[in-house]
Amino acid sequence: MSSKKTNQNGLKIIIVGCGKVGSTLVEQLAGEGNDITIIDTNASKVTEIANLYDVMGLAGNGASFSTLEEAGIADTDLLIAVTESDELNLLCCTIAKQENNCAAIARVRKPEYSKELPYIREKLDLAMIINPQYESAKEASRILYMPTALDVNSFAHGMAEMIKFKIPDDHLLDNKRVMELSSYDIRNILICAVERDGEVFIPSGQFMLRSGDVISFVATRKNARIFLEKVGFKTTRVKNCMIVGGGMSSFYLAKELINMGIEVKIIELDKARCEELSTLLPTAIIINGDATNQELLKEEGIEFVESFVPLTGIDEENVMLTLFAKQVSGAKVITKIDHINYKGVISKLDLGSTIYPRYITTEAIIKYVRGRKNSMDAGNIETLYHLFDNRVEAIEFRVRELSAVTDVPLKDLKIKKDLVVAFINRRGKILVPSGLDSIQLGDTVMIVTKHTGFHDLADILE
Amino acid sequence: MNKGMIRFILGWIFIIQSVLLLLPCIFAIIYAEQQGIYYAGTALVSFVIGILLSRKKPSDNVFYLKEGCIITALSWIILSFFGAMPLWLSKEIPDFTDAVFEIASGYTTTGSTICPSVEALSHAANFWRCFTHWVGGMGVLVFLIAIVPMSGGSNINLMRAESPGPSVGKLVPKIRQTARILYTIYFGLTIAEFIFLVCGQMPVFDAICSSVGTAGTGGFGIKNDSFASYSDYCQIVVTVFMILFGVNFNAYYFIIYKQFKKAFSMEEVKWYFIIIFTSIAIITINILNQVGNLFVAIKDASFQVGAIITTTGFASADFDTWPILSKTILVMLMFVGACAGSTGGGIKVSRFIISIKSVKKELQSYLHPKLIKKIKMDGHPIEHDIIRATNVYFMTYILIFIISLLVISLEGKSLVTNFTAICATLNNIGPGLEAVGPTQNFADYGILSKWIMIFDMLAGRLELFPMLMLFHPGIWKDFFKKKARRQISQ
Repeated sequence: MSSKKTNQNGLKIIIVGCGKVGSTLVEQLAGEGNDITIIDTNASKVTEIANLYDVMGLAGNGASFSTLEEAGIADTDLLIAVTESDELNLLCCTIAKQENNCAAIARVRKPEYSKELPYIREKLDLAMIINPQYESAKEASRILYMPTALDVNSFAHGMAEMIKFKIPDDHLLDNKRVMELSSYDIRNILICAVERDGEVFIPSGQFMLRSGDVISFVATRKNARIFLEKVGFKTTRVKNCMIVGGGMSSFYLAKELINMGIEVKIIELDKARCEELSTLLPTAIIINGDATNQELLKEEGIEFVESFVPLTGIDEENVMLTLFAKQVSGAKVITKIDHINYKGVISKLDLGSTIYPRYITTEAIIKYVRGRKNSMDAGNIETLYHLFDNRVEAIEFRVRELSAVTDVPLKDLKIKKDLVVAFINRRGKILVPSGLDSIQLGDTVMIVTKHTGFHDLADILE
Repeated sequence: MNKGMIRFILGWIFIIQSVLLLLPCIFAIIYAEQQGIYYAGTALVSFVIGILLSRKKPSDNVFYLKEGCIITALSWIILSFFGAMPLWLSKEIPDFTDAVFEIASGYTTTGSTICPSVEALSHAANFWRCFTHWVGGMGVLVFLIAIVPMSGGSNINLMRAESPGPSVGKLVPKIRQTARILYTIYFGLTIAEFIFLVCGQMPVFDAICSSVGTAGTGGFGIKNDSFASYSDYCQIVVTVFMILFGVNFNAYYFIIYKQFKKAFSMEEVKWYFIIIFTSIAIITINILNQVGNLFVAIKDASFQVGAIITTTGFASADFDTWPILSKTILVMLMFVGACAGSTGGGIKVSRFIISIKSVKKELQSYLHPKLIKKIKMDGHPIEHDIIRATNVYFMTYILIFIISLLVISLEGKSLVTNFTAICATLNNIGPGLEAVGPTQNFADYGILSKWIMIFDMLAGRLELFPMLMLFHPGIWKDFFKKKARRQISQ
C-alpha cells in the first residue's frame, strides 16, 4: 500500500538549477502536489521562484554535500540536476546517490558525451539522462519526414502517430462534422483535438470542422498517409534542408537528417565552429556567413529549399528568419523557441511548426515522476505528451490489472468531458476504437485530454 | 491587483471569525451568562458576510506581496472591529472605541486593557479577551493557510505579511504543511502549559485563560492584580512558558525532527537566552534590598523579564515601584522583544543581531575602506535586501514612535507615561510605567490617543509595513483601476 501513500503526498523532489528547464519543471511538478526543494547558486532566482510556486528555496551549490543535506537529501525520492553544466549535473547526482539511493536525473547535452550516455547512465546508476538539444533535433527530423504536418508525435514505439495539421481555406474538410468523415471512406483515424482561435476542443461526433482549424489526429503510420493523401496533402518527405546556426541542436539535427538521406546546408557565423562542423559532418555543406543578411540567404537559395530550420540561440532571430522564409519561399519551416514565454502571441504568428526544447525535456521527466508516483517499481504511464502549448495531454497507459474501465464497451463508460480514448494497442496491433470496443487486460491505451494530473487509467471516469 | 482573491480570503476570515466567536458562547452557557447571545449574534452576521464574500472562487489565484499586505492589514482590522462588537453590544464595555481598543489589544497580543476591573466582566468576555491572544499569536492567516485548501505558491505572501521577523521562510516545501506544523507545535505547548497549571491547583477557567494568554504572548489577566495572587508554582510555570513561546518556532521544529545541533546553534535563540539571564541577574541584585528575600527576588525578576521581553505583559509584582535601574532595563527589553518566528512582538532579537553586525562591519570598513564582508547569521550570509529592510524597519519604527508620542502628548500626561504607553502598544507588551503601569490601565486616555494606540498595536503586530501600505495612494489607485479596454481601430 506504500504506493497509495506516496500518491497522496507526492514525491520529495530536489531540483538543482533554476534555469529554463528547472523553472518549467517546478511549475508543473509543484502543481501536481509534489514536495519540491530548489537549489541554485543565484539567491535572487531562488527567491523569485519560491515566491511564485509552493516550493522551498535554497541558495547554494547543489553538488556540495552540506547543501544537499540541508535540502533534506536523506529522505528524498528524486533528484533532478538541470544546471548549465553537464559535469556539475553528473556530480550532483553522484553525490546525492552516496547519501541516499534515490533516483537521479541529469541533463547532459555536450555532443562529446552523446555517444557515451548509455554507459554513463549505467555506471552512475541514473534513472534518466536527458539531452534537450538531441530530443528537439529528433522531433524536428520527424516533422521534416512528413512536411505537411505541423507536428508529428509517435506513440506505441512508433506504431501509431499523432499528426497535427492546419485545414487550408476552401478545403474539403471545411464545414464537415467529425462524424461525416466516415462517409468519405476515412476510417481508422481519430481526430482527438482541434485548436481554433487560440482555444482547444476535444471534438465529439457533432463537432463542425472549419478552415483555419489546427487538428490533431491519431492513426497508424500507414493509415495516416492514406488519410492525408485522401484529403489532398503531399506526404513525401523533404529532400533538402537549410539550417541556420551551428550549435549543438543544429549538429544533432544535421546528423539525423543526413542519416535519413536529406541534403543539409548549415549557415554559421563563427569560422572556427564552421571548421569543426565540417569535420564532424563531412557530407553537409557548411557556409560561413551571417544568416541575418538576406542577400546571403538568397544567394544560398532560400527560395528553393524545401525546408528551413533556424536554430540560432536567439528566439527573436529564429522567429524573424522563419517569417522571412515564409515570405520568400514555400519551404517547410520549423521554429525553435528556447526562452520566450509569450506562447499565446507565438501561436498567433504563422510560424509553421514550433519546437519548445524545454517542454520536451520536462515532459520526459514528468512522465517519469508520474510513473514513480503511481507505483514505486512499475509505472503505468508509457508515454506522455503535452500538446497545444501544454493545454492538452496525450497519455499512454498500460493496463496491468482489471478495473472499472476494463471489459466494458467504451460507449457504456462514464468518461469525463474533454477526453477521448485515442487508440488501443492490443498485442502490437493498433486499434482506433469505436463505442463498441472495450479495454482489455494487457492493452496499452492512449487517451487525449484537457484535464491534467492523470496517474491511472481509472482517472478517466467521472 | 487581484481583487477577487482579496475578497475570497477576507470572506474566509469572516467565516473563521464566526467559528471563533462560538467558543465564548460555550462559556456563556456553562456559567449561564446572558451575554452569550451577543457573541452568537455577531457570529451569525459574520458567517453570512463570509459566505457571501467567499461564495465565488476567483479564477486567478495568483497574487503578490502587495495583495498579501492588503489582505493581512484588512483582516486584522476586520477582526478587531467585529471582535469588539459583543463587548460593546452587551454593554460590558460601553464605549465603542474602548471595545475596539480592548480587542485590538487582544488580537495583537498586546494586553493593554481599558477595563478598570476585569474581575467584573463576565466569563464569556474574559475568555474571549484571552482567546483573541491565542488566535493573534500565531496569526489568523497562517491558520487559514493551514485549514483552507488553496493551491498555488502565492500564499507565502500572506505568511510573509503576517509572520514576524526580518525574513520569513518555510520549514517544509509546502506552505500548508508549514502552517500545520507551526500550529501543531503551538497547540501542543498550550496544552502542556494548561496541564501544568491545572496540576498546580489553578481553577480550570483561569488555567485556560492563562495558558492561551501566555501562548499568544498576550497579557490580559483575568484578575485585577494580573498574576500576583497565584501560587509561586503557577508563577514559575507561566514564567517558563512565556520564555518558551518567545523562542523562534523553527527551533522546536528542529527538536521534533531530532536535528538538535541545528536547534541549539541558532544564534538568535542563543542571544535571546543570554539577554534574559543577564537581565534577570542584574534586576535580582537590584531589587534584592527592596524585596528582602532572594527566592522572591529571582522569581519576580524572572517573571517580569520573561513577561516583558516576550512582550506578554503579565505582571506578578508592581515593577513601577522598583529601582530606576530595573525599570530602565525593563523598558529596554520592551524594545528588544522576542525572537523572529515566535508569537512575541517587539523589534525582535534577530534584527538587533543584524544591526549590530552591520555596525561592526561599518567600523571595519573605516579601517579597510575596500573591505568586502558579508554579514552572516547561523553560518549563512545575509542578503543585502534583508539588511536594507532591517535598517528601513528601524527608521520607520522610530518615525511611527515619535509621531504617536507627539500626538498623545497633547493630553498633557507625564513623559514617562506617554513614552511607555506608546512603547507598550507599539511593541505589543501591555503595561507601561506610572499611569499605565501594571496596576493601572489605559482608560484615562482620550479617543484620539486610543485610536493612535490601536493603530500602533496593529502596526506593531504586523511589523509596520502591511499597515502603512494601506496609506499608500498607489494601492488605492490600483484598487480602482479597471482593465484597459481594447482600443477599436478603424
